[in-house]
Amino acid sequence: MDSAEVEFLAEKSPITIVPNFAQEKLYLISGDVGPFNPGLPVEVPLWLGINLRQRGKCRIVPPDWMDPEKLTEKKDEESQSKNFTKMPCEHYLVVAQLVLTAATEDIPNSQQIKTLIKDIWDLRVAKLRSSVAEFIQSEGTRAKLDHLTLLEINSVRPFLPHSLDHLYRFSKTAFNSNLSQSQTQDYS
Amino acid sequence: MADTEDIIEGSDDEGEPMKASEVLQKLEEAWITERMSPTLEKHHSEYVDCMLDQINQMSENLKRCKKHDFRVAIHKMEIDRIRYMISSYLRLRLEKIEKFTHYLLEKERTISDENLAILSENELEYAKGYASSIESHFQTMVLQHVPENLRNFDPGKMGVKPNLDSFVFLKVKESTPAVLIEDDSGEGRDEEVDLDEGSQHLIRYRPISHLLNSEAVTLI
Repeated sequence: MDSAEVEFLAEKSPITIVPNFAQEKLYLISGDVGPFNPGLPVEVPLWLGINLRQRGKCRIVPPDWMDPEKLTEKKDEESQSKNFTKMPCEHYLVVAQLVLTAATEDIPNSQQIKTLIKDIWDLRVAKLRSSVAEFIQSEGTRAKLDHLTLLEINSVRPFLPHSLDHLYRFSKTAFNSNLSQSQTQDYS
Repeated sequence: MADTEDIIEGSDDEGEPMKASEVLQKLEEAWITERMSPTLEKHHSEYVDCMLDQINQMSENLKRCKKHDFRVAIHKMEIDRIRYMISSYLRLRLEKIEKFTHYLLEKERTISDENLAILSENELEYAKGYASSIESHFQTMVLQHVPENLRNFDPGKMGVKPNLDSFVFLKVKESTPAVLIEDDSGEGRDEEVDLDEGSQHLIRYRPISHLLNSEAVTLI
């Protein structure tokens, strides 16, 4: 999957905005949004929120988790845990990237948040790399990947599934050639 | 056009009618699954047709709106997003049909139940047309110029087959206990896995392919 496709999927996540215009309810195919009233927060899909923000029609309310204190906590938890911890948002990096680029002024402490999210990402990807190495060495046939977000999974694609394909092919061929060897011996 | 209408009506007959947003969600899952699957999945032209219908209806409605209406831009943007998804989905399928033509046609022949068909009617027509164009191309370019004993052309031997043993990432939608993962590499490591709802796995495609049809899991 391309990163662009991951971004496309992430753009569906909900975000709260404070509009500066009035508009009746919109009947979108993906669901109804609105009504919009100046100053009243309303939840919209991220793609719409970003677009309205770019046109200067609203202010974006940062999601709960986009807060230096909470992110520091998350970072500590992540660095202490051996496993992957549950992220507050399925597409945390993409959402943060989009929101922080389009609406830097709406987010307090945006620079700090950026650094923290990058730290969490680095921690998790490092963890992912070392567990991939461990997994390949243990010759596992399957793995459970709870709490990994799509972008993180995408970062080990295609090389992880692909190398597993090859390993599987090798072991299958080795087995089949052993089998045919032992069969020929039986006949002789 | 008559075909499309039939399909939509057909899907309405089964159970409750779905909301457009639910169909969109289903289509998105089908798209991602198709994107990640090593082979061609069961077709979901009913979702595609339903969404195209929605888009057309919406476009008609928009024509009646004033040019500078605030809503028009937003609706157009949504239509573009859906259209992108549909074309990406259909293109992915065509790509696979061109790659695995013979394999898919053979497989389609063995399926008698219409509900399990992998190719939609139009796709089947396309696959047949593609196969015969390729064959006639080989005939005119090479085969008729070589000695007679070499002229045999067996698409079954030439065709590319999908690697059903490739590894995929999946997300579980409905808990499925004790899924048997057979180990064909012969080390006697067959095992049973409980797939809990919401969990994510990296697993070989073959043992879980039947779960994709029953929509218990989706690929990610």
